Amino acid sequence: MSKKGFLGGKDSNAYIVFYSTVMVVIVAILLAFTYLSLKPAQDANILNEKKDAIVASLGLEKGSYDSTIEAYVVNKEGEVIQTEVSPLNKLFDLPASFAAGEYPVFENKTTGEVVFPLTGKGLWDDIWGYIALEADLNTIKGAIFDHAGETPGLGAEIATAKFQAQFPGQTIYEGSNLVGIYVVKGGAQGAAHSVDAVTGGTKTSEGLQNMIKDCLDCYDAFIMGRTAVAFELVETVNAE
Amino acid sequence: MKNKTFQSLTNPLAKNNPVLVQILGICSALAVTTQLKPALVMGLSVTAVCAFSNLVLSLLRNGIPDRIRIIVQLVVIAALVTIVNDILKAYVYDVSKQLSVYVGLIITNCIIMGRVEAFALSNKPLPSLLDGIGNGLGYGAVLVIIGFFRELLGNGTLLGYQVIPNCLYEAGYVNNGLMLFPPAALIIVGIIIWVHRSTNKDLQEK
Repeated sequence: MSKKGFLGGKDSNAYIVFYSTVMVVIVAILLAFTYLSLKPAQDANILNEKKDAIVASLGLEKGSYDSTIEAYVVNKEGEVIQTEVSPLNKLFDLPASFAAGEYPVFENKTTGEVVFPLTGKGLWDDIWGYIALEADLNTIKGAIFDHAGETPGLGAEIATAKFQAQFPGQTIYEGSNLVGIYVVKGGAQGAAHSVDAVTGGTKTSEGLQNMIKDCLDCYDAFIMGRTAVAFELVETVNAE
Repeated sequence: MKNKTFQSLTNPLAKNNPVLVQILGICSALAVTTQLKPALVMGLSVTAVCAFSNLVLSLLRNGIPDRIRIIVQLVVIAALVTIVNDILKAYVYDVSKQLSVYVGLIITNCIIMGRVEAFALSNKPLPSLLDGIGNGLGYGAVLVIIGFFRELLGNGTLLGYQVIPNCLYEAGYVNNGLMLFPPAALIIVGIIIWVHRSTNKDLQEK
């Protein structure tokens, strides 16, 4: 028998196992290195995208976040609380933040308009968005929605400008009751607090309606606190 | 010899174009060409992956066990695509969002594995690298041509800048909505193939 070379030659089982092991280890190291070295730049991009979405819901220019927005976190009682992570970084895992009872608020420093982040479930996967309220904290100024994996052409339509254009001008309170926005199958036909659902996207539309209601509920106390202060101010001014 | 090496770069650009002659990579040519910019980035990404996978696998060609050679090819290609995807996410985030899954799907692009199997595994590293660059650029060139017409006729813009003057719109010109749908890409590919074959008589089937 002649010597066949390293581990019994190129086509022996030992060589194949050895070859694959070495290859996989090298590739794993390479990929881990790339991932770790590019992660900061990627995170910065994602953060920028979130900043742009927040200002876009207010109808402001991209990149104006840093100069216009003041961000803080409130709790279920509407009190501003201090958190380890910045309000913006909370958006990286918003569901966890909501579950922990920490709700980020993004306020336009000059106008008092407020943006609330939303998070919920569509038909297939997560949906999320930002809802901007006028300074009265009742009228919607703008809304932005996005999704991870809704059906293109059906549920995914919630991410289109056409769908989102229905929101500005709607109100979320009926008296002092928070009702949110009804996403109505078959068309809102001008009813209060209502927008048209997406045709063929019933489950996504329901998910969206629940998301808006559930998330805004968390801010109810905050909104009530703010508007009560404003109301008292008006009262005192009138009394004087 | 020198000439032959050079031909492995230039041949796929015209005479043996992967999209026009070998009809490979059509799927992504339809999907990412609604605008010029993603088409450009996709072309460059495929060129990079094709060039490096050819180079790496050509360097490894004498050591790869025959029985697992397809797996080895896939691991190399998949690793390269993952790196490209990470780079795009880090430096051209908006384009990487537009390209979405199609960057990952470069792995399954027939051009890349086709070139590795047909060329890199039986040729030296330098010609293999040139062959990879040539095929990537040949694919990219077709993408750019399609992207050019689709964005121009569908949106009236190029790379996001408006090029069709407003006075034309006022005179009643409208953008062609069909251009934004995949069938338009197929029609344009068809026209390009037609033009390509009429200028290269030897490609015509008898």
